[in-house]
Amino acid sequence: MSAAAIVADGLTKRYANGRGCRDVTIAVEEGEAFGFLGPNGAGKSTFVKMLAGLVAPTSGAATLLGQPIGSLPAKRLIGYLPELYRYQEWLTGEEVVRLHARLCGLDRITADRRVPRLLEEVGIGLRGRDRVKHYSKGMQQRLGLACALVGDPPIVFLDEPSSALDPIGRMEVRALLKRLKAQGKTVFLNSHLLEDVEAICDRIALMNDGRILRHGRVADVLQQRLRWRFKVGGLSDEALVWLREATGLRIELSANAGDSTDGIVWLEAELEDEEQAGWVNALIAGQGMTLYEAGCRAERLESWFVQAVAGLSHRGERG
Amino acid sequence: MTVIFGMTWREMTRKRVVLLTLLLTVVFLIAFWFIARTIATAGITAGLDPDSPELLIERFTRGAFLLTLGYFFGAFVVAFLAIFTSFSAIAGEAEQGVLQAMLPRPLPRWQWYLGRWLGYVTMGILYAFLLYAAIFLITWQHAAVPRDAASLFQAFLLFAMPVPILAAVSMLGSGWLSALGNGVWMTMLYGAGWLGGMIEKVGAQLPLGTDVIQPLSKVSGLISLLMPVDGLQRKMLAVLFDYRSLGALLPVGANPMNQFAFGQVPSTSFVVYAGLYGAAALGLGMWRFSRKDF
Repeated sequence: MSAAAIVADGLTKRYANGRGCRDVTIAVEEGEAFGFLGPNGAGKSTFVKMLAGLVAPTSGAATLLGQPIGSLPAKRLIGYLPELYRYQEWLTGEEVVRLHARLCGLDRITADRRVPRLLEEVGIGLRGRDRVKHYSKGMQQRLGLACALVGDPPIVFLDEPSSALDPIGRMEVRALLKRLKAQGKTVFLNSHLLEDVEAICDRIALMNDGRILRHGRVADVLQQRLRWRFKVGGLSDEALVWLREATGLRIELSANAGDSTDGIVWLEAELEDEEQAGWVNALIAGQGMTLYEAGCRAERLESWFVQAVAGLSHRGERG
Repeated sequence: MTVIFGMTWREMTRKRVVLLTLLLTVVFLIAFWFIARTIATAGITAGLDPDSPELLIERFTRGAFLLTLGYFFGAFVVAFLAIFTSFSAIAGEAEQGVLQAMLPRPLPRWQWYLGRWLGYVTMGILYAFLLYAAIFLITWQHAAVPRDAASLFQAFLLFAMPVPILAAVSMLGSGWLSALGNGVWMTMLYGAGWLGGMIEKVGAQLPLGTDVIQPLSKVSGLISLLMPVDGLQRKMLAVLFDYRSLGALLPVGANPMNQFAFGQVPSTSFVVYAGLYGAAALGLGMWRFSRKDF
């Protein structure tokens, strides 16, 4: 990683209805994958649209690899998958990608080589010969990815790239994004699918009510919130008290301990590392309880997200 | 810009706009052929010398009526084609989300706008030419028609001129209004222009006093300034029939019961105004589109 690919300095968009985003200052380095999170209506898409040149900022400035946003040189550097979009339904998928290739200034030979490969890569393949009007929402999203990537741009903005995809499609898109990152492209990912963000992104920013609430490295965020779960049999109230005193940890009974009737419960605790988890395992087993399962919670970023915006007003919810 | 221009043509072809328009035009032209044959031959006095001036005037009068009838219909079709191909160019595509995927591409927005406009305009003008020529040839087959090449060419230019104007105004409206709203607005605006023309015709032909004519002229003049397309059609008919030299001989434009009559002929300044009106709509539309948030 070297220079900054995306720099926003006090970028602001105020709409008449009070929405938009205010005073957003971030820097994304070249080759970095950056996750942009926030509740519905937080202003994420407005911010991305400003970077893509679709919306003019009210104030502030931003550059893409040194080029001012909205300028033609800046537009040559980006591939953009919008959140809400459709392609010309009277064209075939392949024709849509070729149209975008021509708009990117690709010559015919390069387009002939790149378009079929891209269609294959995003999982459209020979269905590229069908008219777009016959595409499902998921197919349109795959087509959108192909269009975003056809110009081989160094910066890719993806606004909810897999929201309409099935689990297999999501896995494929996740793998594609990892490949893009490995190729050194800067990926700006705006998504509610936090597992994807967690798997792909190096850094994240959380936006609420038009402002950046928090930002940082994904690893640091997750490090702060390493939450473990233990499936335990034979736990008594006394044993739980003892376990808390012995470890000094805030061990809690899981809220969704639905199978506690057969004496099996879930315990949850925030731990520093795997070593500490092993120690807790040993204490549980040492007290004669049965340890069925132990592991880190999968939705760690989700917990962080939920806690970060808990109690705050969300414009999207107010409508 | 050529990419967008080509895309617009492909859109018109793929959406079968061209095919449907041509099919319905063929139906109209077949009907017009029968009408022309009937009107041209019915009641012509038998035994008249084929070279007699009376027969020539009669044939010319009927030819003039047929051309006026054909171009009256043709002007409507050309205008509606120009309006309905372009009325959702911006709002419709923005509502669908097509523009959000296209505009981040490295193409100046004004070029996108101009490419679309040129696409609609070239298609409209080509269609106008085909319709203009077909109506003329059918009439020529059955009756006498003006054959001055310069007048015919000028008349065609005036016949086709509403296309770029209406496409420009329609696209301008599409930058402000929703697709549906703009469709309604454009239809009403065009209808108002047509009404202004009718007021002009009726006012010029009925035996009305100056106290009635003057306010009518003011209203029709204002409406013509708001939508100058109908005035262009009247000018076109006047140029086609060389009204100044043939007006005394032919009844076209003078019969108070003739709704195809062209009444008062708009001046050349009016044509210039119409051109500037279209150019201003195009320029304003491009300016607006370049600054619009999507």
